Amino acid sequence: MQALALEAVLDFAIISLNPDATVTNWNAGAERLLGYGRKEMLNRSADVIFTPEDRAAGVPERERALALSQARAEDERWHMRKDGSRFWGSGLMMRLPPGTGFLKIMRDQTERHLAQKRIEVSEACFRTLATNIPQVVFASRVDGVRSWAGPQWIIFTGCSERDSLAYGWLDAIDPEDREATRLAWVRAREVGEYYIEHRVWKQATSQYRWHQTRATPLDPADPDQSEWVGTSTDIHELRTLQENQQILLAELQHRTRNLLAMVQSIARRGARDTDSFSEFLDDFEGRMRALSRVQSLLPISDAGAVPIDKLVRQELAAHVSGAEEPGRLTVTGIEAGISAASAQILALALHELVTNAVKYGALRQERGHLHIAWTVTPRPDRSGSMLSLTWRETGVPMPQATPRRRGYGTELLTRALPYQLGANTQLEFTANGVSCSIDLPIANSRSQAT
Amino acid sequence: MTHADSLAGRRILIVEDDYLIMSDLALELESQGAVVLEPCPSVRQALATITAESRIDAAVLDVNLAGEQVFPVAAALLERAIPFLFTTGYDAEALPADYAKLPRCRKPVDAATLLKTLSAMVGPRPA
Repeated sequence: MQALALEAVLDFAIISLNPDATVTNWNAGAERLLGYGRKEMLNRSADVIFTPEDRAAGVPERERALALSQARAEDERWHMRKDGSRFWGSGLMMRLPPGTGFLKIMRDQTERHLAQKRIEVSEACFRTLATNIPQVVFASRVDGVRSWAGPQWIIFTGCSERDSLAYGWLDAIDPEDREATRLAWVRAREVGEYYIEHRVWKQATSQYRWHQTRATPLDPADPDQSEWVGTSTDIHELRTLQENQQILLAELQHRTRNLLAMVQSIARRGARDTDSFSEFLDDFEGRMRALSRVQSLLPISDAGAVPIDKLVRQELAAHVSGAEEPGRLTVTGIEAGISAASAQILALALHELVTNAVKYGALRQERGHLHIAWTVTPRPDRSGSMLSLTWRETGVPMPQATPRRRGYGTELLTRALPYQLGANTQLEFTANGVSCSIDLPIANSRSQAT
Repeated sequence: MTHADSLAGRRILIVEDDYLIMSDLALELESQGAVVLEPCPSVRQALATITAESRIDAAVLDVNLAGEQVFPVAAALLERAIPFLFTTGYDAEALPADYAKLPRCRKPVDAATLLKTLSAMVGPRPA
């Protein structure tokens, strides 16, 4: 008991002072805490235990004045030991009976003071982070009952803090995602972490936006009793990009497989129609080249369009060297886009026309002339436009050179285009040469409409 | 038993928006003695054909018809207990769960496999 009492006393510096602050008593606790011996302090001013800054600022005098007028003065500040080291002294100065001086009791509270400071800094840091990061920050119980909503949440959703507490915050979640959002809290209790991707209402733009919400307990050892702190991050752009990428990938896969299927059917068809392998290969390679030429014009996404002008000129350029000549070849038409799906079959059909013209028609014969022209007019029902393309060969004496096999080209023009694209086509072998017209329905320039 | 045995005289519906693929398939089926009904490039035409035809023995459905999905046609065929198979450019996960287990030929279609699958569906030729 005595040892404990002594120990307790040793924890306290107990000092008595004259009215002028000279020391009249200096206990063992004071010796231990302050480093000055009793003898050296007696009759000496106790002001040495204040820091030089406080002394210069008149703190010791103010403390005594306060103790005189109020009977006591709190003493909570940094003090200095004999060796110059500092500690946080927490104590009290009391007035003794008038004219007899003061009694000062003090203990070292450096550890507690620093811990307190650390907590304050940490709290300030959390608050600064929580209120300044772009994410929504919240605090919650393990069952999802919200205890605090950061300012970002209130600004983002337009829900007041009061309306957001408890389960009020669920009102800002897309109704389609509410059940999953609630269930995720049940799962969080099991796995010790909350995680969900859900849509959160954004008041500024009146839309639900995809968010990733996470939360973890402050005390992982006791998640049921601990407060949980979480964030919601706007991942709307990311998700949209991912979705677009998925669509593009699916389109790419679909396009590739369809292209292979087209190649396969062209090959099988060619094999049925021709007698010799070299003949087959000749036709097949020509068609493959036409098909690969049109690939370069296809837009990245199926939603894009292929310029008809480029499609026609590219196919011509592959077979006719040199520029257009007014007397031999003319191409006129305004800019218009056709769908990616239309472009391939149309390119194949044009390829057959060009090949025929080069082998037998206007592009082979001296006096031949080929005129390609197209117009675009709105359809009466306003559902889109009509592309009307005409192919007119003149100066080609017929029927002297009736094509050996015009079956495939004719079939593409008169059967494939109507079947696949809803086109209306006319193909004639006149005494003057081949004449063909294609009326192809096209969608209006693609808008963002879905 | 060859495919011709079971496909001869069978009335087959082809729903396929790509003319080249459709015509190739039609020639293939005809070479087995099948009767190819007027091919359909769209859901609307396919549904009209299903309603109009008194007898369809089997069907081949392309999943994606110029951006339109063929599933309403699949539903109409299921309702009439007409067997069919899908041809698809997409992987399996692109098909709704209801149809994911139905027979399917991935494009580009192997003609022999397709004929074999179709023959198995329509069963042996009635005596």
